[in-house]
Amino acid sequence: MKNKKYTIGFVMVVCFFSITSCEDFVDVETPNHKIINETVFKDDKTAVAAMNGIYNELFNSDFSNGYLFSVTVLAGMSPDIFETTSATDARYGPFQQNQISPRESPDASANYSLWSSAYNVIYMANRVLEGIENSETITEEVGSTLKGQALFIRAFTYFYLTNLYGDIPLILTTDYRQNATVLRDSATEVFEQIITDLDLAITFLEEEETYKDAERTQVNRFVVLSLLARVYLYQENWEKAEELSSQVIDQTSLYGVLEDLNQVFLKNSREAIWQISPLGGIGGGQFFTYTKEGYLSRGINSSAIKLSNDFISSMHTEDKRLSHWVGFNENRMFYFPHKYKDGSSWQNVSEYSMVLRLAEQYLIRAEARTMQGKLSDAVADVDKIRHRAGLEGIAEINPQIDKEELLDVIMEERKLELFSEWGHRWLDLKRTDKASEVLAPIKPLWQDTDVLYPIPEEERIKNSNLGQNEGY
Amino acid sequence: MKNNYQSRAYIVAVIVIGLLLIFSIKSLAAATPKPLPYFQDISITGTITDKDGLPVPGATVSIKDSNNGTLTNMEGNYELTAPAGATLVISYLGFKSREVAVDGREEIDIQLEEDVEALGAVEINAGYYNTTERERTGNISRVSGEEIELQPIVSPLEALQGRMAGVEVIQQNGVPGNAPVIRIRGRNSLRSDGNYPLYIIDGVPINSTPQSGGSNVYREGIDPLSTLNLSNIESIEVLKDADATAIYGSRGANGVVLITTKKGTGYDRKTEVEARWYSGIGKVSNKMNLVNTEEYLTLRRTAIQNDNREPDETTDYDLLLWDQNRYTDWQEELFGGTSSITDINVSASGGNATTSFRLGGSYHKEGMVFPGDNSYHKVTGALQLNHTSENKKLGINLSLNYGVDKSTVLAHGGTNFINTALALPPNAPALYNGDGSLHWEEWEYSTWNNPLAGVLHRTTTDEGNNIIANMGLSYQLFEGLTFKANMGYTYLNRLYKGLFSKNQYSPENRDATNHESVENHRTRRSWIIEPQLIYDTKIGEGNIDALIGLTFQQNGNKGISILGEGYTTESLIGDLSAAAATRVMNNERIAYKYNAIFARLGYNWKQKYFINLTGRRDGSSRFGPDKRFANFWAVGGSWIFTEEPFVKKHFPFLSFGKFRGSYGTTGSDQIGDYEYLDAYEATEGPNGLYPTQLTNPDYSWEENKKLEAAIELGFIKDRITMGVSWYRNRSSNQLVGFPLPSTTGFSTVQANLPATVQNTGWEFELSSLNISSESFRWQTFINLTLPNNKLVKFPNIDQTSYANRYRVGHPLNIQLLYQYDGIDPETGLYRVADINEDGRYGIEDRVVIKNLGRKYFGGVANNLSYKGFGFRSLLEFVKQDGPEGQMGLPGAKRNQTLDFYNTWQNGESHNIQKISESPDASAAYSRAYLSERFISDVSFIRLKTLALSYNLPNLPLQKIGLNSCKLFLQAQNLFTITNFNGLNVEYPGGNTIPALRTLTLGVQLHF
Repeated sequence: MKNKKYTIGFVMVVCFFSITSCEDFVDVETPNHKIINETVFKDDKTAVAAMNGIYNELFNSDFSNGYLFSVTVLAGMSPDIFETTSATDARYGPFQQNQISPRESPDASANYSLWSSAYNVIYMANRVLEGIENSETITEEVGSTLKGQALFIRAFTYFYLTNLYGDIPLILTTDYRQNATVLRDSATEVFEQIITDLDLAITFLEEEETYKDAERTQVNRFVVLSLLARVYLYQENWEKAEELSSQVIDQTSLYGVLEDLNQVFLKNSREAIWQISPLGGIGGGQFFTYTKEGYLSRGINSSAIKLSNDFISSMHTEDKRLSHWVGFNENRMFYFPHKYKDGSSWQNVSEYSMVLRLAEQYLIRAEARTMQGKLSDAVADVDKIRHRAGLEGIAEINPQIDKEELLDVIMEERKLELFSEWGHRWLDLKRTDKASEVLAPIKPLWQDTDVLYPIPEEERIKNSNLGQNEGY
Repeated sequence: MKNNYQSRAYIVAVIVIGLLLIFSIKSLAAATPKPLPYFQDISITGTITDKDGLPVPGATVSIKDSNNGTLTNMEGNYELTAPAGATLVISYLGFKSREVAVDGREEIDIQLEEDVEALGAVEINAGYYNTTERERTGNISRVSGEEIELQPIVSPLEALQGRMAGVEVIQQNGVPGNAPVIRIRGRNSLRSDGNYPLYIIDGVPINSTPQSGGSNVYREGIDPLSTLNLSNIESIEVLKDADATAIYGSRGANGVVLITTKKGTGYDRKTEVEARWYSGIGKVSNKMNLVNTEEYLTLRRTAIQNDNREPDETTDYDLLLWDQNRYTDWQEELFGGTSSITDINVSASGGNATTSFRLGGSYHKEGMVFPGDNSYHKVTGALQLNHTSENKKLGINLSLNYGVDKSTVLAHGGTNFINTALALPPNAPALYNGDGSLHWEEWEYSTWNNPLAGVLHRTTTDEGNNIIANMGLSYQLFEGLTFKANMGYTYLNRLYKGLFSKNQYSPENRDATNHESVENHRTRRSWIIEPQLIYDTKIGEGNIDALIGLTFQQNGNKGISILGEGYTTESLIGDLSAAAATRVMNNERIAYKYNAIFARLGYNWKQKYFINLTGRRDGSSRFGPDKRFANFWAVGGSWIFTEEPFVKKHFPFLSFGKFRGSYGTTGSDQIGDYEYLDAYEATEGPNGLYPTQLTNPDYSWEENKKLEAAIELGFIKDRITMGVSWYRNRSSNQLVGFPLPSTTGFSTVQANLPATVQNTGWEFELSSLNISSESFRWQTFINLTLPNNKLVKFPNIDQTSYANRYRVGHPLNIQLLYQYDGIDPETGLYRVADINEDGRYGIEDRVVIKNLGRKYFGGVANNLSYKGFGFRSLLEFVKQDGPEGQMGLPGAKRNQTLDFYNTWQNGESHNIQKISESPDASAAYSRAYLSERFISDVSFIRLKTLALSYNLPNLPLQKIGLNSCKLFLQAQNLFTITNFNGLNVEYPGGNTIPALRTLTLGVQLHF
C-alpha cells in the first residue's frame, strides 16, 4: 500500500519535470518595431528605406539640421557673420570669441554634439554600404544608386568634419571594436578619401540625372558633382573645379538662378541642387513642417543670435539681399537672417533646408576661372549673382578689374550671398588663409590656432589615441 | 544549447534522486508501529481566556499530529470534534502555546499565559515558503501592516523609510505617486537602472522599473506599486542575503521585496467590518532662504560695477526694464500651496468552516502644492478568498488587487519647474495683468517664460489602471507531499494625456506653434505559472522540508504615443478626431520570457541545527540565443546555541542565541529587451529606417555573490532582542552600456565588463520591550546600517569614460572634484588647484574624491500604549555628505541664498568670490562648483512619523453595535534637523520638492 503511494509520487515527480524541457520557451520573436539588419538588406524596398532614414535623420542630426548645434549656427558664430544678442551667452559666446573649450561647458557640449552627430551619420552611411555589399538579393540597379548616395553622404560629412577639426579619424566600417581606438588621419588623407568616395559615387549614379518624384532631397549625379566642384576649389584644383561646376550649371533644364530672391529657398526651387526636407523629423521640438533655419530666424525678442553690424554695414543699401534676406527687430534693434520666411506654419511645407544651390556653383566657377586667368568669364559668373542682387555688374563698373581685385570681389560676394548657410564664410576665410587677417582686428582674443575647433575632450577620454588640436 | 540541456537534466536528476532517498527513509521510519489512542470522536467545547480571565478571540485550537483545528470566536469560545484520546494544542500570537490532553472531557476551558518570547515567533514570508524569526537561516526584515497603514502616503515602500536595516528608501520628490528609490544593501550595478529590487505581490512578480509618467514632475517615473492600498498590506518582507534571495536566481541580485496582502480573519468567523476615515493637510516641509528684491538688485548692480560694464536692456532687463520694487516669493507662489488629504477605507471579512474572505475598498485623495488645479486620486478594491476542502487536503486561494489612480499634475515643458521657482529673480514680472489675463510683455525680454503659462495652459492627466491577481492551488497528495500551483496575472496600464494650448507660449512665439496633444498608452501584462511540489517529513530527530518548482513567465509590454496637432480651438484639444494631423510617435511591443526550475531543501535537527539549500536555473529572453541560461544557488545554515545544555547552564541570561550564515549567487538581468538584436527601427520621418544602437550579441548575466554572517540574541526572556549581521556582496561581470567614442557612431554598447562592485556592511537591529505592565506598554526598535560600497576592480578604467565617474577602491556614489584653493587675491575669484600644472583644468586635476553615499543610516521607533491611548513615533537619521544648495553664479540673473548674501555683506571675502558675471568669474565659479568648496555635511534627523491614537472604552460602544472605535492623529515629517541649506535633503544634488509635512486626523471603527 505505502509503496504504491510512493511509486505514484515518483511518477508524478518525473511527469512534473518532463514539462520543463522547453528551452524554446524563452525564445522571443523580433518585435514589430525592429527589423533585423539582414532583413533590411534582403530586398530593395527596405534597403531604400534605410537610405531614406539617413535623409530623414539629416534633419534631426545636430550638425546638419540648421539648428542650435549645427554647422550653420556654430560655424556662423566663428567668423564675422553671427553674434550673440546677450553679452553673457555661455554657449555661443565662446564660439563668437573663438574661445571654445574642449570640456565641461555649454560651448563644449555644443562642440561635442556637432562632432558626435556627424559621426553618427557616417555610421549610418557605412552601414548601408556594408549592408548592400553583403547582400546577394538587392538588385544591381537599386544597389548601385544606394551605394552612390551613401558614399556621397559620407564624403559630405567628412568634408565638414575635416574643415572644422582638421585631422580626424577616417571611419569606413561599422566595427565598433576597431573604431573605438582609432588614430586621427591627416586632413590630406581625409580629402583624398572624400574625392575617392565622390568619384565612386559619380560612377554609381551615372544614370541618376533627375530627381525622384521631383524632390530635390535625394542625391543624384549633379549633387555629387556640385560637392566635388567645391572640394576641388578647396584643393585649388581650378580646372577640375571649373569643369565640374560647369557640368552642373549647364543643366539648364534642371537648374537656374532665380530672379526673385524670395523664391530661392522654397522647396524644390530651380536653384536648389540638394535640400533637406523638414518632414524628416520633428521640427523645433514640435511637430511642424518648416525648416529649423526658418524657426530660428524669426527675429523674435528672445532670439539668441543676430547678424553682426559689421556684416550688415558691408552690404550695399541697394543690395536686394539686404531687403529680402535680412530682417530687423525694432524692439530689440537687431538684424537677423531672413532667407527662410516660414518658421511657423504647419502641415504645408513651403521651404526645405538648402544645402547646395546653383549660386554657389557660379561663384565656384568664377573663382576657378579667375585663378586660371579667364577673367572675363569669371566676371560673367560673378555678375550673374550681382545682377540678381540688383547690383551693377563688375563688367559695367570695373571692366578692367585685375585678378587680385576680382578675387576680393568674389570673396565678398560669397560672404554676401552665402551668409547663414552651412558656415561658408568660416570655411572660406580658412581655406584662403585670411582668417587671422580678417578676424584678428575684430576679435580681441583671436589666436592663429583658433582656425580649428578642439577635438571634444569627452572623445579623447574614451579614446586615448585621439590627439588634440594645437591651442587647446 | 546542448550544454544547457545537459546541466539542467543533471540538476533534475540530482533533485529527483534526493527526493526518492527521502521517501525511502520515510517509509522505513513509518514501518515502526505506534501505540494507538482511543479512536472515538467526541465533541468538545470551551473558552480560551488570558490570565485576567478575558476571552482570547482568534486563538487556534488544533488537534496534535493532525491538520484539524478551529479558531475561537469573539467570546473566546471554540467547538471541535476530536478523538477522546487526542491532545489539543492552543496557540495565539503573544501567548505561550499550551497542550492539553482531552482525556475524554467534553468541556475544556483553558487559560493562556502571555509570552514575551513569542514576539519573534511571527511567521515570516520567505517567498516560496514560510519560516519564523526563530528558525530562519536567511536575512529577512519584516514590517507589519499595522505599523504603516495609517500613514498618508501613496507609495507603499515609502513606508519602509527608516524602518529596516540595510534598506535605503529615498523619496527624491514629494509629488504623490513618484517612485521612491530603493536600494537593498547598496548599489550593485554600474548602470543606474540596474539596481531595482524584485517586487513580488502575493507571489506575483511586478516589474519594479518605474513607469514613465508623461509629466516631468514625476522625476523618477511613477511607482508601479502606487495603486496598492497601504491599508490592505499585511506585511512587507525584504529578502537580503544569498540564502533568502538565491531562490529568485537571476532576479535576486538587488534583493527582493515581498508584499503580502491581508487575508480573511479566519474560518468560522462572524463577519466583521472595519471602516476608517482620515483627513488632513500637507505643505512642503522645507523652503530655501533666498534674498529679497533689494538684496538681489544690490548683487546685480555690484556685478555690473565690478565688470566695468554699462547695463544694457538686452542683458540687464532685470535692472532696466523690470520693476525695482516688486517682490515675489516665488517658492510660495509656485510650490507653497496646501494639499488637502482625504482617505476612506472599508473592509469586511469573515467566513464559514471552509471558506473565508476579505473584501476591501479605499479612496485616497491628495491635493498638490503647485498652483492650478492639481490632485492625485486613488481608488482600490481587493478581494481575498481562501477555501479548504472538508478533509483539508485541497486548498484554494484567490487574491485580487485592483487599483486605479489619476494624477492631474502640471507638466512644465522643458524646464524643471522647481528650478524655475528657485532661480527667478525676486523682482521678476507679475504673473497676471490687471484684467486677470496672463502677463507676457516683460517676460519676453527675459530667459524665462511666465511660469504659470506652463501650468495653466498645459493640462495633463496620468491615469493608472492596475490589476494584480493570483490564484493558488494546493493539494495534499499524501501526508507530507503537497502539490501546489501559483498562477498569477498582472495588468498595469497607464494612460497619459497632455493637452497643450499654444497659449503656453509667449504671444511672439505663438504663431510658430499650435494647439497640441500627446497621448501615451503603456501597458504591462504578465502571467506566471509556478507548479511546485512540497515535501516535508521527520527523519530521526530532524525535520526535512523540500520544495521543487518551475516558473513560466511571460511579460508583454506595449506602448504607443500619439501626437495630435492643429486643433482649431482650445476646447477641442485632446479629441484626436478633431486634430488636423496626428502622428504615431512610437509604437512598440516588447516580449520578455522567463523560464526557471528551482528547488529548496531545508533540514533541521532537534530544532537546533538548520541547513537550507536553494538553487535555481534561469533562462531569460533578454540575452542572445547562446547566453540565455545560468545557474544560481545558495547554502545557508544556523545554529541555535542556546538550545545546547552548556550554554543554558553558563549563560542563563541569554534566552535566545543563534549564529547564522549564508553564501550563494544571484544574478541580474535588468537590461532592456532585444538589446542583442542587430536591428533597424523606423525613423520619425516618413518611409525611413535607421539603426538606433550598436549591438553585441554576447553579453550575459551580472553575477552577484553574497556572503553573510550574523548573530541573533535574546535577553530577559526575549524582552530585549538584537541582531547583528555582516554582509559582503560582490557584483561582477558588470553589464553596462560600455562607453565608446562617438567615432563608432554611438556613445555606448551593451557589454559585460570585468568590473566588480562590492557592498559590505554591518546591520544592527534592536528591539526592546521597555515596560510591560497591565496598562502601560513601551517598545523601542532601533536599526542602524553601516554600508560600505566600493568599486574593487575595473581593469583599464582609464580608457573608458567611467574614469570620469568612478575610481577603483572608492564607492560608486562619488564625485571627483577639484581641490579648492581659496580666493585668488588678485582676481577675487574662486581658485582651484591645477594639480598637474599644465595651465588648464581638466579631469586629471579633479583629485579630491568625495563619497556622497550614506555613511550610516537608521531609525528609532517607539510604540507606547497606556490604557486606550497609543503613541507611535519614528525618527529617521542619515549621515551623509552632499552638495550645498547652490543658486548659480553670484551676480547673474538668478536668485541667491540669503546665507550667501549675508556672508558677502559681512565682508567675508576670503570665502566667496567677487560678484561678477564676467566669463572668468563664470568659469571660476563652475570650477569651484566642481570642487570640494560646496560639499558639506548634509546629514539629517527627521521625525518621519508621530502618531497618537485613542481607543474609546469598549462598553458604551458595544451598546451601539461597535466593537471598537479608535481616534488617531498622524503627523508626517514634522521636523528635520539638518545643516543643509537646499530644498530637499533627501536629494541634495537636485532641485525637487521635499516630502510634504502632513497632519491628518481620523477615526477607525470596527463592527
